[in-house]
Amino acid sequence: MHTVTFVLTSLAALTSAGCMLLLFRAYARTGLRLLLWSALCFVFLTANNVLLFFDLVVFPGPEIDLRVYRLAANLAAVLFLLYGFIWEAE
Amino acid sequence: MIEFLSGAVTLGFLVGAVFFARFWRRTNDRLFLAFSIAFVLLALNQALAWYIGDADERVGYTFMLRVLGFVLILIAVIDKNLSKA
Amino acid sequence: MASDDADFTDEFCRFLQDAVPGVDAAELLLLLQRESARAWSAREAAAALAPGVTLSEAEAGRHLEGFRVRGLVVAEADGRLRYEPAAEPLAQHARTLDKVYRERPVTLIRVIYGLRDKKIRSFADAFKLRRK
Repeated sequence: MHTVTFVLTSLAALTSAGCMLLLFRAYARTGLRLLLWSALCFVFLTANNVLLFFDLVVFPGPEIDLRVYRLAANLAAVLFLLYGFIWEAE
Repeated sequence: MIEFLSGAVTLGFLVGAVFFARFWRRTNDRLFLAFSIAFVLLALNQALAWYIGDADERVGYTFMLRVLGFVLILIAVIDKNLSKA
Repeated sequence: MASDDADFTDEFCRFLQDAVPGVDAAELLLLLQRESARAWSAREAAAALAPGVTLSEAEAGRHLEGFRVRGLVVAEADGRLRYEPAAEPLAQHARTLDKVYRERPVTLIRVIYGLRDKKIRSFADAFKLRRK
């Protein structure tokens, strides 16, 4: 079970990191701010996934709970995404 | 305060999903549909995490929703690269 | 490809992207240009376009206001709007619009919607691993 958790959370973190890199690359190429905000969103989604990995795999015990930090990361992600979509999508 | 933020994040993910759904309708690009569903899953994950609350969400499997969302995104990106480029 | 088409110059495409948010708006502008002698209200214009084009009065009003802000139409005393471009480049673009609408409508439609969604498509294109 631990291995499955390890694989799955790693997969999520790698996927979001990949998206982040692709969006940053596209922003560097085109200069479109929509892509910058989207990339920043994925920075924090990745941070959340990395924290999830640490929370579940590295520190599985109840003493260390990274939920608050994960929530903060999700909040930042959502704010960047919505800002980008509302102001820069058209 | 944390509950409030958790609710705000859930709603934020859902609004993001709605935006992606709009983009999908406008461009007919499957990628946006996948992102939309993925963000709904992220919203569900956030809502469940709040709901289960102190009854340690990490022990349960709510994080699977999040993983599922990103797997969906991964599949969509792979699909985009295999079918056109 | 539209970018090779002589009529779809960068300036014309910028005009389209800025002033013509959709095919309905294009039809509306062409209507006003055709009947430039008279002034139109939103309701009259929407009615004149039906049944070929279904445009609500509110949408027509929004498009007309957009045209007015950009100097394509002027408002009369009773609030109706008449086609009267404020500058020659605008008039030229409107004539080009009329021309491509008659000669290459499908290309025009594709360009209009392609321009509108350019930023969104760029998001999707970001995930293409290979350079185009």
